[in-house]
Amino acid sequence: MRNKNWKQICLFLLPALLLYAVFFIYPLFYVFITSFTQWNGIGSMKFIGFKNFTDLFANETFRISLKNNFIWSFALGFIQIPLATIMALVLARKPKGWKVYRTVFFLPNVISQVALAMMWTAIYNADGGILNSLLSAVGLESLTRNWLGDMGTALGAVIVQQLFYIGYFMVVILASRMGISESYYEAAEIDGANVWQQEIHISLPNILPILITSVTLAMAYGMRHFESTFLMTNGGPAHATSVLGIMLYQNLGALKYGVGNAIGATLIVLGGVLIMTIRWLLNKKSQKMMG
Amino acid sequence: MKKLLTVCLIIALAVPSLVFAQGSGEAKSQEIVLKWPSFWVGADTKAAPITELVNQFNEAHAGSIKVEIEENPDTDGYRDKLNAQIAAGIVPDIFILNVDPTTLQFFEGDLLMDFTEDLKGDWGNGFLDGTLNAVTVDKETKAIPYEMAYTPIWYNTDILKAAGVDKIPETMDEFWTMCDKVKAAGYIPTVQMTGGTNAWTSMIWYSHLCAALGGPDVWQKDFATDPVFVQAAELLNRMYQDGNTSKDAIGAGPGDAGGHYLAGEAAAFSNGPWYIARVKNEAPAVYDATEISTAPGINYSGAQTGYLLSALAAANTTDPARRAAVVEFMKWMTTGENAKKVSEAAGSILAVKADITSTDRIQTQFFQAVADASFVVETFSAKFPVDVVAEFGQALAKMAQGKATPEQFVAQIASVM
Repeated sequence: MRNKNWKQICLFLLPALLLYAVFFIYPLFYVFITSFTQWNGIGSMKFIGFKNFTDLFANETFRISLKNNFIWSFALGFIQIPLATIMALVLARKPKGWKVYRTVFFLPNVISQVALAMMWTAIYNADGGILNSLLSAVGLESLTRNWLGDMGTALGAVIVQQLFYIGYFMVVILASRMGISESYYEAAEIDGANVWQQEIHISLPNILPILITSVTLAMAYGMRHFESTFLMTNGGPAHATSVLGIMLYQNLGALKYGVGNAIGATLIVLGGVLIMTIRWLLNKKSQKMMG
Repeated sequence: MKKLLTVCLIIALAVPSLVFAQGSGEAKSQEIVLKWPSFWVGADTKAAPITELVNQFNEAHAGSIKVEIEENPDTDGYRDKLNAQIAAGIVPDIFILNVDPTTLQFFEGDLLMDFTEDLKGDWGNGFLDGTLNAVTVDKETKAIPYEMAYTPIWYNTDILKAAGVDKIPETMDEFWTMCDKVKAAGYIPTVQMTGGTNAWTSMIWYSHLCAALGGPDVWQKDFATDPVFVQAAELLNRMYQDGNTSKDAIGAGPGDAGGHYLAGEAAAFSNGPWYIARVKNEAPAVYDATEISTAPGINYSGAQTGYLLSALAAANTTDPARRAAVVEFMKWMTTGENAKKVSEAAGSILAVKADITSTDRIQTQFFQAVADASFVVETFSAKFPVDVVAEFGQALAKMAQGKATPEQFVAQIASVM
C-alpha cells in the first residue's frame, strides 16, 4: 500500500541521499574509473584497461599485503571477538568490581591510536623494550628479539597488540547479554545446569545476532586495517607487515593515483565478497542452531 | 502568520551578513592576501626567523600585500595534503616544495607559477650554482630554491677517544678498525635504520658509499646493472652485521636512530644541519664532542652528499598584481641578507649566496666540509621517486636479516624504478 505521506518522506530522505551520493557514491565511482587509468593527479588520465590490476597481482608486495589483510580480518573476527565474548559473559555474571573491569577494558577505545602504537613500539623495542627486559628477567633471554624488526615476528607482534583491545565489542556483547531475562538462568539452575551449560545453551543462542554483527564489523576493520601497522612498522620490515591500506597510501604519495585506486577498488570488492560470504555462512549456521 | 515570520527571519539573517560582506570587501579590496601553509612553524628551528621575515614584509607592504602563514607542523601530513590539493587542482598561494622526482611532476600543466623570466637577471644570479637547474623542468623554473641539505658524517670524538681511535677514518679499512675498537669499548659504531619513509640514516650512508665507489657521476650509472651499487650494498650490509649498529636498527625510525647519537651511545651518525640545534639543546656533551667529516674514501675520496631540500612555489594566476605580489615576496625571502638571518638563526644552509658568519662550531664545520668536498652528489632520496626510496628501506631490512643478497637488494629496488 502506498504511504500517503510519500512526498514528505522523500523530502526528508533527500538531504541524506544527496550527501551519500556526493560523498560516497561519486568518489566510489571515481575510484573504479581511475583504477583503469595511468594518472599522476596532475596531467591527463590515460586509459590502460586492466594493466594496473594485472601488474598488481604480479607484484609480490601486493600478494603479501593481500594475505596480511586476510590474516588481520580473520584474527580480529575469530580471535578478538571470542575474547570479547568470553570477557562479556564473565562480566555479565557481575563479579566483584565488574564495572571497573568494564571501564578498564573499554578505556583503550578512547585513547588515540597514535599513543597506543607508540606505547607498543616501546614495549617491543629490541634495545631496552619492556618485553625483552621481562623475558630476560625470567631467564628466557633466548626468546628476546627485535620483535618489530624481525620478518618472522613483526606481523604477529602488530596483530597481537590489537587483539588486546576487546573493550568496544565486549561492551556491545555485554549489553546484549544483559538483555537476556535472568529467569532463564534461574530456571536452568533449578534444572541442574552448570554455568558452562547456561552460557552455551542460553547466552550464546540469544546473543548470536550481535555476535554475527560483531564478527562482520571486526573483519571489515581487518580488511581496511591501516593505523597501527603504519605507525609501528610502516609495512616493514621487507613488507612483512604490509597491508593494502599501506600500499594504497604509498602509491598515492608517489602520485600513482591509477595504481592506488586499483588497490582501493580491489580492497572494496574483496572486502565486500569476504564480508558477505562470512555473514552468509554465519547466518546459515545460526539458523541451524535456532532450529 | 508563519510564512510572514519565516520571511522576516530570513531577512533578519541575510541583511547583516550582506552588509558585513560588502563592508569587509571594500575595506580590503586593495590588499592582496597570500596564504602560505608552512611546516616551518612551532618547534621548527626556522619558525622564528621565517615568521619575523614575513612580519617585516607585511609591515613594509601594509595595505597592499599580506602574507598569512597557515601552520601545518607535520611534514608528512603537509606533503599528503599538498598532493591531494594539487590533484584536485587547488594550489596554495605559496607553499614549500620538497624537491624530488615525484614532486617535480607538479610542474606539468600550468598549475604552478613560472618564474623563468623573473629569474633572468640579478635575482637568478643570487642562488647557489646548480640549484636553479634542480627546479627547472623543460626550461621552466616553477619554484624558487630555498634550503640545501648537506648530510656529512658526524663523529662523536669522545667515543673515538674512549675506544682508542685517534683520528677520523679516511679509508674503509680504517673505518672497520674503528668499528671493532668502538664495539670493544662498549659503544655502537654506526647509527642505522630501515624504518621511516626512507630509512634516512642508512640511505645517507648508502649515498656516501655509492659516491665513494662511483664518483661524481654515480647516479648517471644504470642502477640495475652497475656493480657499484651492489658493492655499496655489501658495505652497508656489513654495517648491520657483527654489532656494527644498534640491536633495534632493523625497523628503527628516525627517533630511535637519532636517539642513539643523542644519548652518546653511537660513534658515527649522519644527518643534515637542521639537527645541529637539537644536539646542542638536548645533548650538549655530544654537541661538544661532534666533529663533521666526509665518509671514508674508496675509489674516490672527499665526496659529500647534498641536494636542494626545499623550494618555494606558488599557485599560477592570471592576475598581474597578484603575480607581482608573489614575486615580490619570493625576492624578499631570498635576498642575501634575509638568507643570512635564517641561516644564522636556524643553522640551516640556504640555497642563496650570502655572507654567512656562523657562530656555531658545527655549522661552521658544515660550511667547511661542503667547501672542502672534492665533489657533491645528491642522496639516493633526492635522486629517485618516493616509492623507489620507500623500497630502499624494505629491501635493506631483508638484506640485513640475511634473507637477500646485495645483488637481490639492488634488484628489489630496481624492480620499482
